[in-house]
Amino acid sequence: MAGNNAFQLVSERGWRRGLGSMLGSEFSRWWKTRMWWVQCLIWVGIIDLLLSAVLFSTPNAPPSEEVAVLFLVFAGLFPSVGVVIIMQGVVVGEKKSGTAAWALSKPITRPAFLLSKVVANSLGVLATMVIVPSIVAYILTVIATDTPWNLPGFLAALGVVFLSHFFFLSLTLMLGTFFSSRGPVVGIVLGLLFMQQYLIGWFPVLRYVLPMKLVLPLGEQLDAVAPCLLVGSHNYSPILIVVVALESLLFLGIGLWRFSREEF
Amino acid sequence: MSTTYVIETHQLSKAYKNVQALKALNLKVHQNSIFGFLGPNGAGKTTTIKLMLGLIRPSAGSASVFGMDTVKQSVDIRARVGYLPQEPHFYEYMTARQTLRFVASCFFKGPKKAIEKRIDEMLDLVDLTGKADRPIKTFSGGERQRLGIAQAQVNYPDLLILDEPAASLDPLGRRDVLEVMGRLRKYTTVFYSTHILDDVQKVSDTVVILDKGTLVAQGPIEELLAGSEGVVYIVHLRGQVEAARKRMLAQPWVSGILDGQHNGDCAWQVSVSDPQTAETQLLKLLVNDSVVVTEFRRKQYDLEDVFMQVIEGGSNGRK
Repeated sequence: MAGNNAFQLVSERGWRRGLGSMLGSEFSRWWKTRMWWVQCLIWVGIIDLLLSAVLFSTPNAPPSEEVAVLFLVFAGLFPSVGVVIIMQGVVVGEKKSGTAAWALSKPITRPAFLLSKVVANSLGVLATMVIVPSIVAYILTVIATDTPWNLPGFLAALGVVFLSHFFFLSLTLMLGTFFSSRGPVVGIVLGLLFMQQYLIGWFPVLRYVLPMKLVLPLGEQLDAVAPCLLVGSHNYSPILIVVVALESLLFLGIGLWRFSREEF
Repeated sequence: MSTTYVIETHQLSKAYKNVQALKALNLKVHQNSIFGFLGPNGAGKTTTIKLMLGLIRPSAGSASVFGMDTVKQSVDIRARVGYLPQEPHFYEYMTARQTLRFVASCFFKGPKKAIEKRIDEMLDLVDLTGKADRPIKTFSGGERQRLGIAQAQVNYPDLLILDEPAASLDPLGRRDVLEVMGRLRKYTTVFYSTHILDDVQKVSDTVVILDKGTLVAQGPIEELLAGSEGVVYIVHLRGQVEAARKRMLAQPWVSGILDGQHNGDCAWQVSVSDPQTAETQLLKLLVNDSVVVTEFRRKQYDLEDVFMQVIEGGSNGRK
């Protein structure tokens, strides 16, 4: 390059070319704007206000197991909607606005572009939708019941909640690489999110495929993974964790494949 | 001029479903040239640029930039290119300075001081220093365009690709862009598309005209401006014009006279086959007591004439 002897050139090579720049940009979007605290406020507001209503509306707090299930319903279901809303614009929005074409006119590979979105948004979701509201929830339950949840079980349950969100994150990202408008992306993912219970009712085999039973018990029985981990029960199938993780990776793989063929 | 080609395309074609956006384009762009890429809307200019950057894939044919294949080595090509899109869109949550930092980080990892200095230079170049730390979402179209010009140059590109660089700029902004392009010629090759023919005429040394995906004219700007009709003189005169006409047509180097009228005078377009003889003899033949010459000059084409002729009337053999 003409006149750039004073500079050290970037050393990333292969598919990682541009990953550092894109990660910097994506982390800026999360952490150097008001996005992080707005998301924290929203999810603390929704999850912990609902939990407070459960914990403090009666003189005697409900049984610990019931509180755990309700907390994981709130923490496992509602933020998934937020994940879909955030992620639906990540690829489609950039394709439509022209910023993807602009960024990819720089020495940034397509895998680096897409993976930076996955990493930065996953960490953003983990911090603002899982960790912060859960810390507040933990404190609330200690105040209300004087009985703290078992910490390893609590952390394991949060990991499973995050896996459930990651499933919808990777699915939304993948669909964003196929469609050029947000409607179908949001429609398909939210449809799946809210139809899981019916789909499993019609096709019971789907209980081993869809992420619903990671966080939500299907019937009266406490058999969802995260609540079991939180209360120390072994009445769950760990295979679902593996299946959902593999599905999420598959979505990312398909998304990378499709994005490498995208024309801007 | 060096014979090294920075850009070469061979039968480069692009089709979208039923639309043939680019048809068998053969292009050669010399190093350190300012290459004007002209054509009406939908001619295939932006498609060609996107093919060079690897943003889209060719349907047929191939292209190379710096000798590298645009499909297989597009990231390596982009590491040496600066690009201004036709409608620049940046991340709205960033400021102008953050945008330039982001772009610089795609090329350089340090030293930080030198990068910041380069960013300040670029902001100064496009007169955005005072707005460097404002979010881009508050920028006007012209300011975005200027930021686009700055980010395209931040990496000292060996090839600067500008898609309509003067769009959205006021006349002063346009003048500045042309000045920058002229200055950069020493270090880099500039490939730019535009509708503003006056700008092309001012700074380009080579011009290509595309129409409906087909290359219809290509060559050094002087050649295109010389026209395809050969050398023509414009002569306005009054008096005994018929006698003057006979004297003219008797000369072997006068190939024809096209008649016309201008403010009551005879207006001739005299085509000549020997420009050197015509330059010294033509006026002498006309001047005598019975004829008054009110205007005498060699016909100059401007790019707009050439462009209109080519687009409306075929290539006139300039391909």
